[in-house]
Amino acid sequence: MITLNINGRAAAVDADPTTPLLYVLRDDLKLNGAKFGCGLGQCGACTVMVGGQAVMSCLMPIGLVEQRAVKTVEGLGTPTAPGPLQQAFIDEQAAQCGYCIAGMIMRAQALLERNPHPSDAEIRRHMAPNLCRCGTHLRILRAVRRAADRSGVAIAAESRTSAP
Amino acid sequence: MLALTWRPQLAPIDPPARSSFDAALIRRGEQLAGVGNCAACHTTRDGGPYAGGVALATPFGTVHGTNLTPDPDTGIGRWSEAAFRRAMRDGVARSGSRLYPVFPFDHYARASDDDLQALYAFLMTREPVRAEAPANRLMFPLGFRPLLAGWSLLYLDRAPPPHDTRMSAEWNRGAYLTASLGHCSSCHSPRTALGGEDRRRRFDGGEAEGWYVPALNAKSPSPLPWSVEQLTDYLSSGIARDHAIAGGPMQGVVAGLARAAPADVRAIAVYIGSVMGDPTPQRDERAKASVARAERGPLVANASTVTSGDRSPLGLGAAVYAGACASCHDLGRRLSSGGALQLPLAVAVHDPDPRSLIRIVLRGIEPLDGEPGRLMPAFGAQLTDEQVTALLTFLRQTAAGAPPWPDLAAAVRSAREDESR
Amino acid sequence: MKRIASSRLDRRRFLASGAALVVSFRLADGAAARNGAAQSKKAQPKPAPALPGSLKTEPMLDGWIRIDADGRVTVFTGKAELGQGIKTALIQVAAEELVVDPARITLVTADTARTANEGYTAGSHSMQDSGTAIRHAAAQVRAILLGRAAERLAVAPERLTVKDGVVGADGGRSVAYGELVAEANWHLAAAPQSPLREQATHTVIGQPMRRIDIPAKVAGGVAYVQDLRLDRMVHGRIVRPPSPAASLASLDPKAVEQQAGVLKVVRDGRFVGVVAEREHQAVRALRALGLAARWDEQPTLPLAQNLYKSVRETPAEDSVILDRGVPAPSDAAALSATYQRPYQAHASIGPSCAIAQLLDGRYTVWTHSQGVYPLRSALAELLGVAKDAVRCIHVEGSGCYGHNGADDVAADAVLLARAMPGRPVRVQWMREDEHGWEPFGPPMIAEAKATLDAAGMIRDWHYEVWSNTHSTRPGAAGDLLAATHLARPFKPTPPKPLPQPEGGGDRNAIPLYALPNAHVVHHFLRKMPLRVSALRSLGAYLNVFAIESFMDELARSANLDPVAFRLRHLNDARARDVIKTAADRFGWPTFQRRPGRGRGFAFARYKNLGAYAAIAMEVEVQRDSGRVRVVRAVAATDSGEVVNPDGIRNQIEGGIVQSSSWTLSEEVTFDASRVTSRDWGGYPILRFPDVPEQVDVHIVDRPGQPFLGTGEAAQGPAAAAIANALADATGVRLRELPFTRDRVRAAIGPA
Repeated sequence: MITLNINGRAAAVDADPTTPLLYVLRDDLKLNGAKFGCGLGQCGACTVMVGGQAVMSCLMPIGLVEQRAVKTVEGLGTPTAPGPLQQAFIDEQAAQCGYCIAGMIMRAQALLERNPHPSDAEIRRHMAPNLCRCGTHLRILRAVRRAADRSGVAIAAESRTSAP
Repeated sequence: MLALTWRPQLAPIDPPARSSFDAALIRRGEQLAGVGNCAACHTTRDGGPYAGGVALATPFGTVHGTNLTPDPDTGIGRWSEAAFRRAMRDGVARSGSRLYPVFPFDHYARASDDDLQALYAFLMTREPVRAEAPANRLMFPLGFRPLLAGWSLLYLDRAPPPHDTRMSAEWNRGAYLTASLGHCSSCHSPRTALGGEDRRRRFDGGEAEGWYVPALNAKSPSPLPWSVEQLTDYLSSGIARDHAIAGGPMQGVVAGLARAAPADVRAIAVYIGSVMGDPTPQRDERAKASVARAERGPLVANASTVTSGDRSPLGLGAAVYAGACASCHDLGRRLSSGGALQLPLAVAVHDPDPRSLIRIVLRGIEPLDGEPGRLMPAFGAQLTDEQVTALLTFLRQTAAGAPPWPDLAAAVRSAREDESR
Repeated sequence: MKRIASSRLDRRRFLASGAALVVSFRLADGAAARNGAAQSKKAQPKPAPALPGSLKTEPMLDGWIRIDADGRVTVFTGKAELGQGIKTALIQVAAEELVVDPARITLVTADTARTANEGYTAGSHSMQDSGTAIRHAAAQVRAILLGRAAERLAVAPERLTVKDGVVGADGGRSVAYGELVAEANWHLAAAPQSPLREQATHTVIGQPMRRIDIPAKVAGGVAYVQDLRLDRMVHGRIVRPPSPAASLASLDPKAVEQQAGVLKVVRDGRFVGVVAEREHQAVRALRALGLAARWDEQPTLPLAQNLYKSVRETPAEDSVILDRGVPAPSDAAALSATYQRPYQAHASIGPSCAIAQLLDGRYTVWTHSQGVYPLRSALAELLGVAKDAVRCIHVEGSGCYGHNGADDVAADAVLLARAMPGRPVRVQWMREDEHGWEPFGPPMIAEAKATLDAAGMIRDWHYEVWSNTHSTRPGAAGDLLAATHLARPFKPTPPKPLPQPEGGGDRNAIPLYALPNAHVVHHFLRKMPLRVSALRSLGAYLNVFAIESFMDELARSANLDPVAFRLRHLNDARARDVIKTAADRFGWPTFQRRPGRGRGFAFARYKNLGAYAAIAMEVEVQRDSGRVRVVRAVAATDSGEVVNPDGIRNQIEGGIVQSSSWTLSEEVTFDASRVTSRDWGGYPILRFPDVPEQVDVHIVDRPGQPFLGTGEAAQGPAAAAIANALADATGVRLRELPFTRDRVRAAIGPA
């Protein structure tokens, strides 16, 4: 039994410690946000946050997560009560197939928690490890920009008050 | 003393017209600039090519690469060919001021007149970019450039380029290129306290930008011998099957060599191959042992037996390997584009110094922007310092079968600090 | 009332419930009608006279619309959501014509048990076919409901008003649709004419209604087939051969069968699969099986450096698809050029996935296939069962951009499900599976030749294109990958060219321009060393790239402005409008060239029948590195009557960015036997730092004109605009795709 801290709650999981966090999130905890895109850490569809950093969950064995806090897109809000970053994606209609989007949101969340006033160039560079195949990049950048402008300070402040 | 140190300003010229340079000469210069890897120190990530601005950390402080574009005010637009030659051979700018030897003029000094002429043609026909390099920040009193005259006296070796009539023309070409523009020993040799190259320990290994740079001579840590073909592949593409994938500063070298004449790259490989030396019984033993280790199959025999309860470095390291690395480096090796390195054969785990391997794990390896290549993701966010240390302990023992690195935990911490800067 | 065949009664069980109207889905009488049809073929039961859109094949109104007693509306479409926003757009169409709030509507997408057979969701046909059918069906259902309401309220129908499903008469009397359904009956064939609402009264069509699927996608809801979890579900993986011609020399599965959680190893010829309880166990077993298998490989692929030579040397079936006028005898002043494009991949971000379950002799398959009916036929043939025994339900996958691994993984899933009766088996392709085995966009060569007269008008035009087929979609079992790996393999359907006016390799090979003497030849190549099929826009990507590059070359040779040159050869008013709009909004006449930058223009009407797109671009070239970057793009598009303008914008923006990636970096790599680009390292696509700074899309709305799908309109023009801008910036013309840094540097030279 391994106990993980997922979105602020303890979650007990009965899985081999070498199981990537991605499969545990999806199959055991029914958290669908993080997606399987490559299993090789090359595309970012599986991006979640661990210990405040954006991490490829396909390469994060649960046995090594230990006490670090795991944050997934489900922890930012719900379809009916989205968080500020999610709302920004909805407002910009920043999705075509949408498969990469949960990963994009977590990658952006990691940036805004650390830097609530990123420049456009910083956002672009920060998002580079995440791939989008449909060509939605410009909308994604606009959504992150919108979230930063509207709520960047709030996002960074909230991350400091919540558990590390 | 001033009389010894002082060098005159050379008269500025009007920036020469592009058309005054022969196209073939420019092309030759482009190839040679690839060998010299000028771009590494003179082109920032987002900046114009050769426009300078790269911050180079030295033990003495930070020096910035200057603008080599033919901009008349901020670049070398007003430099005559003579001024360029003097900079390359003597480490003296057109103005007469001394250049910091992080600029490897101690090597470039050996370049032939023809090669310098071609380089000049190439640089003077680049797109002029107006850009001032940021001010250097050096420990007092090293900011006082005339002191560099003393350094030059000690370290500037005007010996003619090496030539050995017993060896082939190709070998000699490689020796010349390596000693001059290639300046390989700048990174692949240790340095003295004054920052000069320790010539008695040439190619014994060194460091660059926080990475450990392996020895290229008999002390090479590589478990397997390198053929000329493998060296040529590595230098041209950054990939040598079952040996290494270029990471860190070597990626820039490979990018430069991609522009060099293929015959020159092969010549360098021939020369370096000879520097590496012939197999000895000891080396053969080591090679056999490494191959045996590789052929045994997955480094962690049975991943299911690895539990998160074992906090010893080896136990934890095995767990890290099984969970984060094995899917590419063992089990999936053949499936992705070319496959990940078999670690018992990888040079980095055999290095006497763990710094390169640490950086590879923290940062991953990315092909150059937009080019196809091998892509290893960064693990710096996934793994804690303790986990990285454990992983390397495990790899050192299980993959390399070599004595543990001393002060590994401190080296991991220090690399992490460098990354965050 | 049409007779419903008894074998269809079990389908009605799925559908009928309580007071809901019968949505018995009436199928064609002939079995042939439902067999895997080629892309745009439709079945014809009793030919209904010229019914609009897909009403031709499903004329029954209740095949499209159902209303419950509580007023909830269900709309059925045989099309699938691929991420192009079709669900939202179809809801808008239905909401408009039914006059209900879109929030009332649930859309059921392609399901062989519940919806019409609308073939494939492909070729940008969804709005034309399904949108049109739904529009008309909804309008006719509304009329029926109003008729019932008129009787109920004893008022003439013209005196009634409708708002959000409530019919009102004066005196404040009203009756809701839900109250009428018990009496209203639309189990009828549609009429050829419909009382469509006036465009001036539209409140939903034409609005940028927010996509209904996005909220779940940003918050981790179940949105994709990859997210489905069924009771007692198990996980499967397939060990694929290392190369197309490889045969399995030996495999000892014993060790893997002992691994924790492994339930079964399935082997049939060179089809090898493993099923495990947990997903990670299946992946570990996959890797171990991969190591345990020994393959014999053959070199069957052309050498990479000889790719185009081998294309030209492949025996071809030639067809002249345009022969107009009398070309002049060979003219020394002709301009000619050759354009080329390599294998390129769909490279879907989410590798293909399917779930299949065998229960009581019937298979249910949850799939993101673009064609659930043709897939069903193929799976039934593969399994040797009746079509009725297989149900295919579309559930969204990641963007497919054409025929990717979706159908193949469904085949994998049913084969494993057959070995695990009762349990749903989820098969997820790995990254290397998708990159290595999806059917690619085929390599193509185009040769263009033309002469100009003294006034700078094109006099003679000659164009030839070489290409494999652009569709190997199932239909038949042999078009499924696994089926060809069985011990007794199925044979793939012999490829056939897709006929004009849609075309395959010759899609958009005929320019829209007014050309007095023109000769266009399609060289159809049967032999396919690597499996190929439809990749978004099919042959149009290369053909429009070639034609629009060539138009630019012609214009330059006569010193004419490229935009003006196109306009003088176009009579089509809608084409002229998009061209002028794009040029105008880009600032074409006043463009200032900065060092290293250039401007480029391109235009096409997709298939000469679909949406119009004109694109102007500013592109930057870095001589030293060979890096090409699209700085900004301005597009104008005409998609007929606009249903959702934001959807159109999204498709054009996305199409431009995706095409930039194809054009600047993408090519499948291979050696003598294998595909070698098996991950994102080996097949890089555009990342954030290289995406344009700005893309603006201007929509020319044409109310009253038929809907035109926009998903494939931008790809070809974007490629040509880049090539033209590169030529403008450097004076150098690149004709071989992609424009990698090496190629750009080699073309420009160091000087």
